[in-house]
Amino acid sequence: THIKICIYFNSGIRGICVAGYTGAKSEILELLLPLKLYAGENQGLCAERDFKVQHGGFSEEPVESLIHIPGTRCVVTTGSSSSALQIWDIGGDDSDVIKRTGVINLKSTPAKGITIAPGLTDEPAVLHGSCISEVQLTEIATGRVLYTVAKESSDSVSGLQFVNACVFLICVSNGTLLMGDIRDPSTCDYPLQDSKSGLHWSFGLRSDSSQSEPSCCTVARLSSSGHMLLYDLRDLQSPFCQTQLNVQQNTSKNDFLNVSWAPVLNRCLSVSGFDGTVHIYNTMDWSTEGQSPQPVFSHRGHEMSHEAKYSSSLPVVTTHFWHQSRPKTLLSAATDGSLHVWDWVDKIIDR
Amino acid sequence: MIHYFNTLKVFTFVLHPWLVCKLTDMHPSILLNVCMCCFAGAGQDVGRSCILVSIGGKNIMLDCGMHMGYNDDRRFPDFSYITQNGRLTEFLDCVIISHFHLDHCGALPYMSEMVGYDGPIYMTHPTKAICPILLEDFRKITVDKKGETNFFTSQMIKDCMKKVVPLNLHQTVQVDEELEIKAYYAGHVLGAAMVQIKVGSESVVYTGDYNMTPDRHLGAAWIDKCRPDLLISESTYATTIRDSKRCRERDFLKKVHETVERGGKVLIPVFALGRAQELCILLETFWERMNLKAPIYFSTGLTEKANHYYKLFITWTNQKIRKTFVQRNMFEFKHIKAFDRSYADNPGPMVVFATPGMLHAGQSLLIFKKWAGNEKNMVIMPGYCVQGTVGHKILNGQKKLEMEGRATVIIGTLDVKLQVEYMSFSAHADAKGIMQLIRMAEPRNMLLVHGEAKKMEFLKDKIEQEFSISCYMPANGETTSIVTNPSVPVDISLNLLKREMALGGPLPDAKRPRTMHGTLIMKDNSLRLVSPEQALKELGLSEHQLRFTCRVQLHDPHSDNDTLGRIYTHLKSVLKTYSIQHVPDGTVIVESIVIKVTSSAEEPNLKVILLSWSYQDEELGSFLSTLLKKGLPS
Repeated sequence: THIKICIYFNSGIRGICVAGYTGAKSEILELLLPLKLYAGENQGLCAERDFKVQHGGFSEEPVESLIHIPGTRCVVTTGSSSSALQIWDIGGDDSDVIKRTGVINLKSTPAKGITIAPGLTDEPAVLHGSCISEVQLTEIATGRVLYTVAKESSDSVSGLQFVNACVFLICVSNGTLLMGDIRDPSTCDYPLQDSKSGLHWSFGLRSDSSQSEPSCCTVARLSSSGHMLLYDLRDLQSPFCQTQLNVQQNTSKNDFLNVSWAPVLNRCLSVSGFDGTVHIYNTMDWSTEGQSPQPVFSHRGHEMSHEAKYSSSLPVVTTHFWHQSRPKTLLSAATDGSLHVWDWVDKIIDR
Repeated sequence: MIHYFNTLKVFTFVLHPWLVCKLTDMHPSILLNVCMCCFAGAGQDVGRSCILVSIGGKNIMLDCGMHMGYNDDRRFPDFSYITQNGRLTEFLDCVIISHFHLDHCGALPYMSEMVGYDGPIYMTHPTKAICPILLEDFRKITVDKKGETNFFTSQMIKDCMKKVVPLNLHQTVQVDEELEIKAYYAGHVLGAAMVQIKVGSESVVYTGDYNMTPDRHLGAAWIDKCRPDLLISESTYATTIRDSKRCRERDFLKKVHETVERGGKVLIPVFALGRAQELCILLETFWERMNLKAPIYFSTGLTEKANHYYKLFITWTNQKIRKTFVQRNMFEFKHIKAFDRSYADNPGPMVVFATPGMLHAGQSLLIFKKWAGNEKNMVIMPGYCVQGTVGHKILNGQKKLEMEGRATVIIGTLDVKLQVEYMSFSAHADAKGIMQLIRMAEPRNMLLVHGEAKKMEFLKDKIEQEFSISCYMPANGETTSIVTNPSVPVDISLNLLKREMALGGPLPDAKRPRTMHGTLIMKDNSLRLVSPEQALKELGLSEHQLRFTCRVQLHDPHSDNDTLGRIYTHLKSVLKTYSIQHVPDGTVIVESIVIKVTSSAEEPNLKVILLSWSYQDEELGSFLSTLLKKGLPS
């Protein structure tokens, strides 16, 4: 059994939440990022290079995904076997134990993993679903269902994200995107122009702020064979850019497919899940025709690690995140249990 | 706290010699031996270690550290926990020091010479050699530089070290007839040891500071599956997930390289024997790989002293060093040369390792003064600095320092323009390391020191869940009592053994205790289990038989025989698993219990049930009499 790590960056709190398991027990840890990350350029007074375990807790089942609800000390997890979402309280200063405070039971045990995303409403809520017809928004404190998708479809969900407090996107694993609004049960569907079977799709949304209007957002669609399409959220029918990334299709673990937009830098996105690297691209250079774009940076740390040398299979990056404020800092985790925090350098522009 | 032999002697008084006793009546809790830990120092108090353990009637002090953050008596452990006044000699059986760091041995001369202790002080050979150097150095700063008075003198350090008995690794040392200790390799620094303390069948292992990953010049800690009743481990880094050593080293090398590339000078103040060797090996390898030309220097005298100690204690270094030492001296470097004070004025880049480590005096301070004014230069502090030293001040961001000349007269101010870096290379175990050690030693209980309870609950849960053992986290001054289950070896007579075997049934199994009957004879310090008859013979006594009788009155309008029959039927239905017989001579026998029914001629319906049983069936007999008092079903 490999170790899987889910990371979610706690906005506003200088920490991340990590869940990993070996064997039977799964641990959820709130880690404080090393102080070194916050030290200024020439300020050398930080000895601390280590992650500090601020809080920790145990989960009976392996954690498949983990999200943090903004504005709270609350974390929601899904497990591989159960039909419920677990709610956890990270805790305050009086104790370092993360306690489970509640459960959201689902109607039935889903065939595939459940995708979860934090709601952006005032009352803490979580958007979740394993297939389209099961997507609903549940209030955490009461378990009340605030919204359900009115579409009958058993297509499996590969991604969920809120654009603002009401508008959200669902990405289906066959590549179709659905846009919904929690004030209206119907959704707008945007299937792919020529959908190829056997491919798994994931998406990444960039919005300028959590309350932004759809006009400021860009969406990237990525397939497990490296096909990438970029859209303005106002027009999900026609991509403003299409290209083929030079990556090897990894058919074994579609769950790891991940595309993220940089929150600070303009038109910069990152891709992982094909192998043990994270690739960063500057989409400004992209043109619709021509060869595959080259990444401006590739983080090979997980492949080159000490542990990777001695294991039979190369690690695969399971997830990665951009730091909210440091423009060129990312966090990534891989199947060998490694967690990296790294800065990248654009060889052409930076010296 | 009870010494177990005392407890057993009390037990024999309670028993009358002519009563047969069941061995199972000896409940383990009577053989309780309590192992206590009383903290005069560590226990959620990072900065000083001093732990008192009571085991099997022996009192041991583990480490005797100084708290580096205080300037008054709070820096010493509070020995009033041991005794309110007077010397400590009769209260302590021995003192054990784990390694030469001041937060583990800094208060030793104070304890032995100023408070008073004349018993043995155990430590490894390297610790014994290096401790006095550090203590003297520390004494110099505190007394000579800071002018303190309530402190130990150089003579006291010497007198203290005379009481030291050196330890070798994995060698059992008999402190006295009952107490024995054994040292294990701890890594961390040269000569650091984990110690196992054993009295009878109970043991405690104290780790001191240790680390589970080998580095460039020391190996990793190791212990066998000694299964101590208690493992006391430091947990300074228990709530940290340590950054990989490679990243840390890369960062260090990057900083040194960048400074040297831009023509700056790098000063690394070190203590001669500690992380300096590690950093030297690191730089040497890097310089070689990158083909760098800038010179690296090591303070004069330092190389010889370091070499001397590492050569002397070569068995304490790691495998790689031992192997290469034969061909060439591992601590003779190609790129690192001896320093001369005139080099400090040379133009161009260079790296210098100089003592002392906290920039409080000597060569490192001199060099610092020369280089501080140039922002191209850098000073890298590799460890903790005591308050009051220049090292401490610059780490706190002070940009202007008052320079003192002779007799502490201030002769000017120094502008600190160079880059100040702090890189901790200390080797401590993190949570993963602690779990590894527990897996190695398999203790029955765990105790964590050096951390904060609130911040360690998660680790405590983790340990308790994974190993199913109790985990304690006492505060400073708190006493923890741990119950142990000592095994008491007893000789059994052959006759008794044969008799028990003849009874048949499953064979004795360590996991499935079986009740047996015998008499325990305790004479002098031996324990023997013999058959009751043999015991009586040895004691010259004759066996008495004890029988109890009881009369129960019952109204039953039947004949005596019929009443007896009804009793028989009733008992048969209640006591399904027991042997019950209705004997024609007019008795019912349940196991060894005899039941008869009589009545008087005047009142034939008032039956008197006579029960009689021997001591062995006391419980059953009492049960039957209570049962029959309730009457018979109709």
